[in-house]
Amino acid sequence: MPREKKENMIEKIMNDPQPIPRKVPDYMRTKGGGWFWTGAMVMFAFLYEVITGLILLLYYEPSNAYASTEAFLSSTPFGSFILTTHLYGAYAMVVLVYIHLLRNLYEGAYKHPRESQWLTGVILLITTLGAGFFGYSMSGDVLSADATDVGRGIAGGIPVIGNWILGIFFGNGTQLSLFSRMLAWHIILVAIIGLLFAAHFFMAEYNTIMPKREESGYKVPAIDHDDGSYKPWYPYNLVYMIQLMLLTFGIIVIIPSVLALLPGVPPLFSPFPQVSPTSPLAASVPAYPPWFLLFVYKELDFQFAQSLTPFWATVIFAGMPLVYLLILPYVDKSSSLRMRDRPITVSFAILGTIYLASLSLWGALTPGVAIANWKVALFFFLPGIAIITLTWVIADAMKKEKIHVRNAPWAFATMAIMAVSAFGSGMLILADIRTPSLLYTIAMILTLMVTAISAAVVIAISRGVFTQHAEAYKPMSRNAYTIAGSGFTASAIFILFEISVINPDTVFKTSLYGIGLGVLLLIGGAVLRMYRATIYHE
Amino acid sequence: MSEKNNGDEPADKDRRNFFKFLGVAAIAAGGIGALRGVLENVSPPITAAFSAFPTLLLYSQSGKPISTNDLIVNNSTIVLFDYPLQNEPNFLLRLGDSNNNDVAIEPTTVTIPATGKTFQSPGGVGPHNSVVASSAICQHLGCIPPIIHFYPPSSSSYPGKVHCNCHGSTYDPYKGFAVVTGPTTHPLPNTVLTYDSAKDQYSVSSLVGPTIYGHSSDLSGGNPLASSSYTEISTLTPTS
Repeated sequence: MPREKKENMIEKIMNDPQPIPRKVPDYMRTKGGGWFWTGAMVMFAFLYEVITGLILLLYYEPSNAYASTEAFLSSTPFGSFILTTHLYGAYAMVVLVYIHLLRNLYEGAYKHPRESQWLTGVILLITTLGAGFFGYSMSGDVLSADATDVGRGIAGGIPVIGNWILGIFFGNGTQLSLFSRMLAWHIILVAIIGLLFAAHFFMAEYNTIMPKREESGYKVPAIDHDDGSYKPWYPYNLVYMIQLMLLTFGIIVIIPSVLALLPGVPPLFSPFPQVSPTSPLAASVPAYPPWFLLFVYKELDFQFAQSLTPFWATVIFAGMPLVYLLILPYVDKSSSLRMRDRPITVSFAILGTIYLASLSLWGALTPGVAIANWKVALFFFLPGIAIITLTWVIADAMKKEKIHVRNAPWAFATMAIMAVSAFGSGMLILADIRTPSLLYTIAMILTLMVTAISAAVVIAISRGVFTQHAEAYKPMSRNAYTIAGSGFTASAIFILFEISVINPDTVFKTSLYGIGLGVLLLIGGAVLRMYRATIYHE
Repeated sequence: MSEKNNGDEPADKDRRNFFKFLGVAAIAAGGIGALRGVLENVSPPITAAFSAFPTLLLYSQSGKPISTNDLIVNNSTIVLFDYPLQNEPNFLLRLGDSNNNDVAIEPTTVTIPATGKTFQSPGGVGPHNSVVASSAICQHLGCIPPIIHFYPPSSSSYPGKVHCNCHGSTYDPYKGFAVVTGPTTHPLPNTVLTYDSAKDQYSVSSLVGPTIYGHSSDLSGGNPLASSSYTEISTLTPTS
């Protein structure tokens, strides 16, 4: 057999262009097809961020960061709408990036031929968190000042070049230099995200969207082959993409608008900036980083980490998982896509989720409280040993066909939720014993309930209880869809009228506009869904 | 094309078109709703620095109120003061004839060529009724001193006129800064001065005529002055 010349992907893309966008099989658009488009949803959140970010750029003054943010919120029409949804669009993007990552981790999508695609994806995770950090810090409120201080500590702790890096990212120490730099880095990182995303997207198109694993017999390479029956991209996929975009936008718009109307939203999830760092009220705000960096923040509280510099603690706790993710496709080269054939990867994925979520929760509950070494050891080793052993035993039993887990991905995901809530209830039980309070008791009961429910769900999934429902799913009749669609569109026109006459002179009224607009976007998505069900039979 | 219609019975064409209409209408509603917010947001709110014109005493740079003797008849140096905002300079002129004797400036009716409307110029103040003031921002395209300035009656070019060297607009300070030659279509806004003969002091109290160039109103579009009781004069040497 003559040895094939190994071409690199760039060479292949250039010399053998593939049809873009590719046609996809029907099951990627029907029920459950959303799981094949988690990357597209990240892209829509990114698009929303770029649009609102450019509007914010018209107003932001680095020389006057906090005052210009407050002025934009309170005295610019629809300012609170743009600012709060920009924040929550970023949150949505971070959450979607994690979902996208975890799904591809569990599915084995990082394996051949998608190694370099995975690599760009991991770099995109870093740039997304970085852009989020700088964006969050630009408001100039007390939380941003706290986050910036931690960032400065980490950057300044880099050996030899620490001060140089500190200057590059955070300026020469003056407030103007700091906020000008943060604005610039926010935009630079977003530009890098855009470029990397383009590369990521072209690789995804070249490698095809990873089909259902059974299509390739649970073996690499999982490549989608158009057998000629695939429907054209236009209009079928275009309509589906618009539907997903409207749903993503709608959720991004609705959540902060509702939160803006609720009293007593904790600072971690408040859609508004907190008080200025020089205000007398600043001391009452816990020193939180953005929630998606809470885990970094907590690990700096570990007893042994405090003898290291913040930089080395970050290298250990954030750097090691990243290195693991970066080298994963080059280490895990087995050809099987089955979870039971790769218990190490799966158990690490579960553990990573548990550590990430629990550390974040820990950071939120006890910000800045030092943690003794034995507790840290317990925190890492107990779930570590338990999950790795458990996954191994289950995988082994599955291989020997002793037990049959029908919906393994869901079972594993629910296991992660169970572990995090178990950790949370453990923490709360401790807290309740030390300083009894009604709040802790209620929270404890709630987390215990979540733990119990998810345990029950894991068992139910393993026994195939939920699979029956999918087969029982029956679409409505076409007439019913037509009537529902008419009703939805009629209410859309009514809501449009309502939000067109709202005078945006207060944050309250602007939030009502935001809710109305979010509902409008969701209605648009729902009508498209019904259109596809009725006309395309999807 | 045939693939698109596959599986759709002809009777469903109406349903398809109706549903298309529903989809387009629902998305358009979302688009219009979002557009309203964006369009209203990107236009910055304009806040007036004052609700009414402040009355300010004219100060010299040495920090004292100016008197008639501080003003030179037909001064070839440009004398300016900011009013009512920091970025709104005004000429301060003591007008005379070609022998540098004070000329009394009578209030007069000034026509705005662009609109055909008229306004009443305030006329000169001071012991000889010869001190006048106007916005120093050219009404054509906003050039400022020293490019626009007063040419004394003894000057060889544009004698006794305010001329802008950007595009050649000329105004007559003796007749309420009326338009003499284009391209401007608006006279300079006249700055209203008052004279306290007992103390020999000058104050500025308002503007009449067109709105200052580049501002949506005379009182907005800039930062207020450092003091709420006086405005300082400054001088510039003409370039030509």
